[in-house]
Amino acid sequence: MIEFRDVSKTVKSGGRPLTILDSLNLVIPSGQSLAIVGPSGSGKSTLLGLLAGLDMPTTGEILVNGEDITKLSEDNLARLRSNTIGFVFQFFHLVPSLTAIENISVPMEIANLSDVADRAHSLINQVGLTGRAGHYPSQLSGGEQQRIAIARALANSPSIVLADEPTGNLDSATGQHIMDLLFEFHRAHGTTFVLVTHDTDLASRADIRLLLRDGKSVEEIKRK
Amino acid sequence: MFVVLMALRELRSSWRRLAVFFACIAIGVGSIVTLRSVIQSVRNGLAHESRTMLSADLVISSNDPFTEGVLNRVAVEEGNGRISQKIETIELPTMVRPADKSRDIARMVELRAVPLGFPLYGSVELESGSYSHASMRDRGVLVKPELLAQLNLDIGEPLLIGNETFTIRGVISSEPGRDIGVFSLGSRVMIDVVDLSTTGLLSFGSRVSYQLLLRVPEPLADELLVDLQRAFANEFVRIRSYRRADNRIGENFQQAENYLSLAGLVILILGGIGVSSVTRVFIHQKIKSVAILKCVGATTRQILAVYIGQILLLGIAGSLLGVILAGFVVEMIPLLVGEVAQFIEIDYGLTLSAVLQGTSVGLAVSLIFSLVPLLALRHIKPSVLLRQEALAKNRIDLVQLVATTAAAFMLMLVVTWQAGSFQVAFILTSGFLVVAGLLYTAGVILVRVVQPLHHARSFALRHAVRHITRSGSQTGVVLLAVGLGTFFILGVRRLQENLVENFSMQVEEGAPDMFLLDVQKDQREALAQFITNFNGNGPTLTLIPVLRARVVAVRGQEVNLDSFEDVRGRGSLSREYTVTYRSSLEGNEQVSGGTWWDSTPTEEVEVSIEESLQGRFGIQPGDQMTFNILGRDVTALVSSIRKVDWGDFRAGGFMFVFRPGPFEDLPHTYIATAHGPSDVKARAELVSGLVRRFSNVSVIDLREVLVTVRNVIESVTLGVTTVGVVVLLSGVLILLGAVSMTKFQRIYESAILKTLGGRTKLVATILLLEYGVVGVIAGAVGAIGAMGFSWAVAYFVFEMPWVSNPILSIGGIVLTAIIVAVTGVVASADVLRHKPLATLRAE
Repeated sequence: MIEFRDVSKTVKSGGRPLTILDSLNLVIPSGQSLAIVGPSGSGKSTLLGLLAGLDMPTTGEILVNGEDITKLSEDNLARLRSNTIGFVFQFFHLVPSLTAIENISVPMEIANLSDVADRAHSLINQVGLTGRAGHYPSQLSGGEQQRIAIARALANSPSIVLADEPTGNLDSATGQHIMDLLFEFHRAHGTTFVLVTHDTDLASRADIRLLLRDGKSVEEIKRK
Repeated sequence: MFVVLMALRELRSSWRRLAVFFACIAIGVGSIVTLRSVIQSVRNGLAHESRTMLSADLVISSNDPFTEGVLNRVAVEEGNGRISQKIETIELPTMVRPADKSRDIARMVELRAVPLGFPLYGSVELESGSYSHASMRDRGVLVKPELLAQLNLDIGEPLLIGNETFTIRGVISSEPGRDIGVFSLGSRVMIDVVDLSTTGLLSFGSRVSYQLLLRVPEPLADELLVDLQRAFANEFVRIRSYRRADNRIGENFQQAENYLSLAGLVILILGGIGVSSVTRVFIHQKIKSVAILKCVGATTRQILAVYIGQILLLGIAGSLLGVILAGFVVEMIPLLVGEVAQFIEIDYGLTLSAVLQGTSVGLAVSLIFSLVPLLALRHIKPSVLLRQEALAKNRIDLVQLVATTAAAFMLMLVVTWQAGSFQVAFILTSGFLVVAGLLYTAGVILVRVVQPLHHARSFALRHAVRHITRSGSQTGVVLLAVGLGTFFILGVRRLQENLVENFSMQVEEGAPDMFLLDVQKDQREALAQFITNFNGNGPTLTLIPVLRARVVAVRGQEVNLDSFEDVRGRGSLSREYTVTYRSSLEGNEQVSGGTWWDSTPTEEVEVSIEESLQGRFGIQPGDQMTFNILGRDVTALVSSIRKVDWGDFRAGGFMFVFRPGPFEDLPHTYIATAHGPSDVKARAELVSGLVRRFSNVSVIDLREVLVTVRNVIESVTLGVTTVGVVVLLSGVLILLGAVSMTKFQRIYESAILKTLGGRTKLVATILLLEYGVVGVIAGAVGAIGAMGFSWAVAYFVFEMPWVSNPILSIGGIVLTAIIVAVTGVVASADVLRHKPLATLRAE
């Protein structure tokens, strides 16, 4: 279970404090999918970043499986991400100097798993890019890059998968394919899946929809 | 596992960008390994068997025939078995010439007369067959190949030595018992000691060295040395042991090796500065990758390990490349120094210790200089993947501060280790820092000076200058490295010019340029006549009477003779001095204490001493000094102190000058100074004529010495220039690194310029101007530094006037500017080729 308790995030912008998240409270039960929607600048990506421990809230607590991650050190956060969380970015963020298969292998190597090569091949097979294993990110199309990024996010069988506008940079057909992959994994493994998106159609596929505006939760709709 | 894999994978893509990194290390390591290997090779060649060097276990030497006392004691030691073999050899410098009277040529040589049984250790090698004493029997002579070339003689032809005609029987290719590194007046000539007497060279006053070579049963040499030194405390002899010679040679070479390899270390440290700047830029380009790694669960420690691992791999690769480079250079050396190789047989090759030292220093420098910039990795936050933000900068980063201090300390340790002395390390480090600091400051000021060009009319110039002065550009580092290279090269050139100029000036000026040694009393008039006949109305001969004297007591206190310390070369009064007597001061002398005598000869013995003796031994006017002259003790009153300008060698210089009177009737010889014709042929005629007529007289030709000095200065200059070129090369490398590091930004900028209507030519002009200006500044920094340096050395060290040479400075600046501009533009060729659309789309 994921729980946000009174989480605020304020940053300095041009010398003035700017509130991105404002006393947000939120509960995401394990195994559920949540879509966060809202206009640009409403704090969607920040929320996701805080959940992954990529950033620290100004105040409040974020509990992941009962543990307050705001109290964790940078290295313990890295361990948490390694074991529990998979992250998919809008801009893919593959390591440019590594091949597709190596990008997929990195999280498993960091977690010191065995059979890294076999697992990586099975993952790249799952995203349908076996023939592209030796290619560098610059040699792949946007859709292909994102599929590799998804394989990387799923590599350590995380219990939580976070995706920040994963289709934002892709055409709709490709985007559809990507979303299918993510929801498939969510259903097959019973992971908690948190998705940030502009696309209301996409959002409607999630168990819960959360509408954010000005850093506040405006509406929470559960799918019947 | 992750760390190793990741380091290797990263290297695959980043090695191109980090190529400068390992080139910097390779050049530095290459210099160190080369310098150390060469010196170690030379040292092995010279000293691998120093018993052979002395060709004996113990050598007793004296400038006079051995006294009964010495000979008796040696006989006693032979009797009780402490000496197992003894031979006596005699050495003296003299002139030789072809027997053919029509040939006007003569050469000074170092004659060694040896008996049967020589050498005790080692062997004489002849070019044709093996050496035997029999080959010299009955007026045979062995010579070095260079003498045959100089005199245009061949084996079997006659050679005149003194009054005797010898036959050349063989050519010496190597010979033991020659102290290498000691300045010698001529090449070696060997004859049978039996034939020496008939040459007439053992006449009074000639500079003969008598040597007793002793073979001593192995464990007894040290003890016998001490005993003999004690026994001969009052004899005028020197005793040397092979072991001590070995140690001394060892120490000298160790020191030379350490000091010279510091030149390599300076290059490596400069490379280190390059490494540091390359790493800094590299980290900036890796921000995103590092953030991704952190995002997928890598800890900071793992990431640091990845990049340190990468640096280590590059450091090892660079060091190995350096070793390979050094291998090539060392292989080439025999080809380069063919001339020297004739005299000394040396097997040039890389030595294991040099390779190990070079690579470990290379690794250490890679780590030391990259560690601090690498620590910036800790500040990269994974949140940069969500939104653009600058690298977080903590106001004071304690870890970075500690790391910087630790790096400085480690560097100091490395320098100390390489120099073999903390003091030298300290001087070198602070010297380097001061020079680097000055050059850097000059660079900063000059960059300020070009600042007004921001408002220049020309668009290209305006842009070029903005690039230079923009913060974050690598201008500072490039200026330092290129400037330092220019500084080395120009500095040493200037110094060379000044030295040669001053030295030649002293020889020109119609001053005496020939010294005639061992002129006998009864030869004076004939010699003066000979010179006058030859020179006509030109300058005449000046004769200076010389005697040999030893100080035996000062103020009644006995001075320790040839004591331990003396043998080890510490300054002591009791060595033999060449002294003279005259009534007036020479042009290069001034009285600084007491009073100079008037011209009337007296029976009373008075002496004037050189200033340094007053300082070193506290001798004052009014003190009594006792000298041993020609075996007699003579007590003299110190009546004056003289200051001698040793730089002005024309009038000679004497530590002790006596008042005329008491010595005039004693047997002694004269040194004559003469001015010979400047025409080479006439000069050779004069020398050979002199030697034919006065066979015992040795001629030292200052003009020939000048050529030698010039050659020596030239070789030193060549050496330092090479170092300078290598420094400049690493400067160019750092420049290349700076260019390729900032290339992405430049490509982007030029794409925008092109989109806005700028043509390729404009972009090229901006680049050319930018690097041209950097080059001019670097050249100016180096030239200013070089002027300051050469002036300081001329003024403070050599105390001679400084000659300015604007052409050299301007030439240096122009050349540096061209090198930098060409390098910069060529390295940026990509920037010119890139099509703007592709660039902008990729961004």
